[in-house]
Amino acid sequence: MDTEKPAVMAEVFSILKDIPQDRSQLLVALWLVFEHYQRFRPEIVDAVSQYMNIPYAEVYGVTSFYALFHNPDGKNPLHVCTDVMCALQGADDLVKKLQALTQRSTVCVKECPCLGQCDAAPAAFFGKQVLRRATPDLIAQAIRGEDHA
Amino acid sequence: MREVRRLLPPLDIISAPTSMQRLKDRGFSRAMERVLGMDPRDIIAEVKASGIKGRGGAAFPTGFKWESVYEAPGGNRYVVMNADESELGTFKDRALLEYDPLGPLVGMLIAAHAVGAKKAYCYIRGEYRPIERQMVNALQTLADCGWVGPHAVEVEVRRGAGAYIAGEETALLNSIEGKRAEPRVKPPFPTSKGLWGDPTLIQNVETLANVTLLFAHDVEWFRQCGSPQTPGTKLVSLSGHVKNPGVYEVPFGFPMADIIADPELGGGITGSGRLRAILLGGAAGTFLSPDQISATVLDYGSLGTFDASIGSGAIMVFDDSVDLSWVLRKLAHFFADESCGQCVPCRIGTRRIVEMLAQGGLYSRVQDLRDLAQAMRDASICGLGQTAPTALLSILDRPNWQGA
Repeated sequence: MDTEKPAVMAEVFSILKDIPQDRSQLLVALWLVFEHYQRFRPEIVDAVSQYMNIPYAEVYGVTSFYALFHNPDGKNPLHVCTDVMCALQGADDLVKKLQALTQRSTVCVKECPCLGQCDAAPAAFFGKQVLRRATPDLIAQAIRGEDHA
Repeated sequence: MREVRRLLPPLDIISAPTSMQRLKDRGFSRAMERVLGMDPRDIIAEVKASGIKGRGGAAFPTGFKWESVYEAPGGNRYVVMNADESELGTFKDRALLEYDPLGPLVGMLIAAHAVGAKKAYCYIRGEYRPIERQMVNALQTLADCGWVGPHAVEVEVRRGAGAYIAGEETALLNSIEGKRAEPRVKPPFPTSKGLWGDPTLIQNVETLANVTLLFAHDVEWFRQCGSPQTPGTKLVSLSGHVKNPGVYEVPFGFPMADIIADPELGGGITGSGRLRAILLGGAAGTFLSPDQISATVLDYGSLGTFDASIGSGAIMVFDDSVDLSWVLRKLAHFFADESCGQCVPCRIGTRRIVEMLAQGGLYSRVQDLRDLAQAMRDASICGLGQTAPTALLSILDRPNWQGA
């Protein structure tokens, strides 16, 4: 941990090198850092806090506010909508199947609120991809594609 | 009368959605050039005369909002396009930004010109990544025209990170400022004290697309569609037990039943084939029974007779196999999860509704639910807490309604 910390600090500083040290850029900065680490461990939050010159508690407060940043195990999140419209189209069943499929993988299935794809329910969201009329096959394809990218 | 395509591009359009040619084909460049030659007061007067109302849900008259920002004292001014579309059952802004992103973006630039803003933000939800790319490409086209950039209007795209509440206008401002997306107490309203305390105009994507159409034509053209009280068209997001779910554009005053049943629109009920109800306007919307649907048109006055409103334009359709109590429990969980927790009536109230519905069902503690709903309406800081019980009350207010 102690040997890791300066390395994380250097890495975060390098990720953020083009971001102005301005409070209004915090969310932008957090997205860059999240896309690299897929989670916010304390040393990562600390590094952002140091770089942006914003108190740790405030940075933590912002990271913990947003659902997409909540990813404690650091696996690649696969968000599956289980809200009303997707639930009518079998989203709960889809979640169960996906959980079984991804049990020992680097992907973590998360139920999420409405993804705004109700005309093609059920919907899922993985990385930068939105998956409409999602099936286990379609999602598996997307995950493989994302890994190869 | 069927679908009217004004906000949505014609089906046979060939030009790419983010291309320079699209700007010409759709009259958007004409709109922008016309506005650049106008005095801000004349622009605002034209928006007022058009009768455009906000399409995000509140239906506030757009021209009056612009006037407030224009007249507010302060140095810097900002325009924000709210594309944080997260309302349940709502996907019309997504469709608009996918099929014709230049429309709303030009509307944003027109707004900036009218209120004197040199900086604008496009706030888009983090789950719309493909749409965000489309938006960035469209902004590049506008930069190539010289309408976006340091010497015109600087535009920054902001990506949300999964928070329904960030779509609330003051929460959205806090999010842009790099803070937790918690709503602010109003007044002051953003029109006088918005981003960094300066006058800020926040508009929904669809509202701004209407503005561009207005200036591509004129007030008379704009008012040819819709009702005298609410001119223009509305995008509706139709989902659930209908044959053709999707985004449709219909004039205000269009019969509600036809949106669902018309073969060119919803195409009729699927599932059991028998309609139980629609939920109109999103999670904080109102349930309408088949009788009420037959008796109303898509306009604020007509729907107001049943205490309903258009909201975001979401129409979620349920056949008679759906237990509406199940829908209410889903909605209750949604609000409890999405409450930001800043104020007590909402933080505790949304939880209590979940518990009451789980314990004894909808009708076991009707008076307690009503009292709680009243407290949430009276004392919550923002619309989330104030309207979280709306759908539930719309069922309680019709005790003889089968299905819940």
